[in-house]
Amino acid sequence: MTAVDSAVVPRTTDERSGTAAVLRVEIAEGLRAVLREPAALFFSVVMPVMFFSIFAALFGDAPSPSGMSTAASMLATFGTFGVVSVMLLNPGISVATDRETGWLRVKKVSAAPVWATIAGKVIASLPYALAVISALTFVTLLVAGPVISVGTWLRLVVVLLVGALPFACLGLAVGFVASANATTAFLNAILFPMVIASGLWMPLEILPGWVRGIAQFLPTYHLAQLALAQLTGAPAAGHVLALLVTAGVTGAIAAFTYRNLRI
Amino acid sequence: MDTGSEPALLVSSVEHRYGAVVALSGVDLHVAPGECVALLGPNGAGKTTLIGLATGLLAVQVGRVAVVGGDPRRATTRRRLGVVQQQMGFPRTLTVAELVRGAAVRAGRPATAALPALVEAGIADLGSRRSAKLSGGQRQRVALAMALVGDPDLLLLDEPTVGLDVTARRAFWQTIAARRDAGAGVLLTTHVVEEAAAVADRVIVLHEGQVVAAGSPSELTAMLPDRTVSARSTIDAAAVAALPGALSVTSDGGRLQVSAVAPEALLRHWLDADPWLADLRVEGATLEQALVSLTGPIHQEVSA
Repeated sequence: MTAVDSAVVPRTTDERSGTAAVLRVEIAEGLRAVLREPAALFFSVVMPVMFFSIFAALFGDAPSPSGMSTAASMLATFGTFGVVSVMLLNPGISVATDRETGWLRVKKVSAAPVWATIAGKVIASLPYALAVISALTFVTLLVAGPVISVGTWLRLVVVLLVGALPFACLGLAVGFVASANATTAFLNAILFPMVIASGLWMPLEILPGWVRGIAQFLPTYHLAQLALAQLTGAPAAGHVLALLVTAGVTGAIAAFTYRNLRI
Repeated sequence: MDTGSEPALLVSSVEHRYGAVVALSGVDLHVAPGECVALLGPNGAGKTTLIGLATGLLAVQVGRVAVVGGDPRRATTRRRLGVVQQQMGFPRTLTVAELVRGAAVRAGRPATAALPALVEAGIADLGSRRSAKLSGGQRQRVALAMALVGDPDLLLLDEPTVGLDVTARRAFWQTIAARRDAGAGVLLTTHVVEEAAAVADRVIVLHEGQVVAAGSPSELTAMLPDRTVSARSTIDAAAVAALPGALSVTSDGGRLQVSAVAPEALLRHWLDADPWLADLRVEGATLEQALVSLTGPIHQEVSA
């Protein structure tokens, strides 16, 4: 077999530079998909901004329980909503679509690793998640002026983008097994109850007490609290732990479904 | 070992099952460098399974599949492979040039390799077109460019000319023939038998997971019924199939086509059985009928 195997000589000089080039192509394809046909992401980007504007008009004047500016805390909660919806929906629906159309099979029979496709989809979604935060920030500036420092804002952005990765894993896990339509329906069906029960639209304080009980068990709640902690300096170790557990669980589910990926 | 002497594709003693269903059993075949082999067979014969094994999409269960001596499950082996699949599912948002550049990079080549491949596939003028705006024929040529861009030693073409008009087909096969003459092995599946006969050096007939015949197109026709008798008849196909000398019968828009070994005896009995027999024709058997009598049930409906 050695003689036979030696016949298969890699044609590029460097395997790793080849993989990096593949990843670049995958990211570029993911970015173009949204840029050229933005309808798919329309709701993920526009809805949070729309809701944000409505709720800012309704509650913007209300005193915030933490003493922090309401606009600032809404930036954290709606930012969580926006980033999670992009990262949960976009990679998952995209991979389900590729499975359905046969495009993922084209990649599977190519010499490029399929994981590069998956990673490309997640990475390509990050700029759109950032776009949502930027749009929300823009509205905040219009409504309330500069409510947080640039440094705090950057910390908030990093927390939200990194914290949304477990949700991307969950979206992918569904996209690996379900059709594009079923993936869209299922992910929306879990996203919106989670968003409401985590107090991302309306503050938990004005929701019934039992909702607050549920919120403790929702990863969106912990991400929002971690985001808020960036503004308030409140202790956040528990929220980080909850998100790490979420990452472990959704990562494991995604890995399991990836192994059983039907292409 | 000299790479040039390695078969482009080697399939030996391969068996494949989906649960209790046997898709392939005891299949041996090879494609030499510079050879074009056509895989013929009815739906469910195992063609798609065989292509799946050769592309590394399916794991080999029993036997051995080697692409230029390597395991197609390994990415380095698949760099020697160019594939035109039945359903390529190009993302609608990408342009032709982007698709082919992506294919180049995935094959371990620089993106600049895309341009010659676009020219070779005859779509250099389509580079900036979105895939959503391509016609069926254009899509197949994009698929071809993507298969050629890695400069493959083996081309696997799964029903590549479905939906192409005559001119496009000819252009497609000219491109493939040029690659074959340059040393690439080619394995194609097609149900257009005349096409297989025209472009392939060898034809392998697959039926119910087994190779039932193999040879040059002319060899294959030689070992099979020599005449086709066709006519409009008022008696049904099953009755005609029962007549002496009839090997198989297909019905095509009210017209029956009968593959026959002794057309004289068949004609005598058919005319006796059906006084209204009309529009009678006797021709040399084509590969299509050869295939039907090799693999088909005694009576097949031809839908086209």
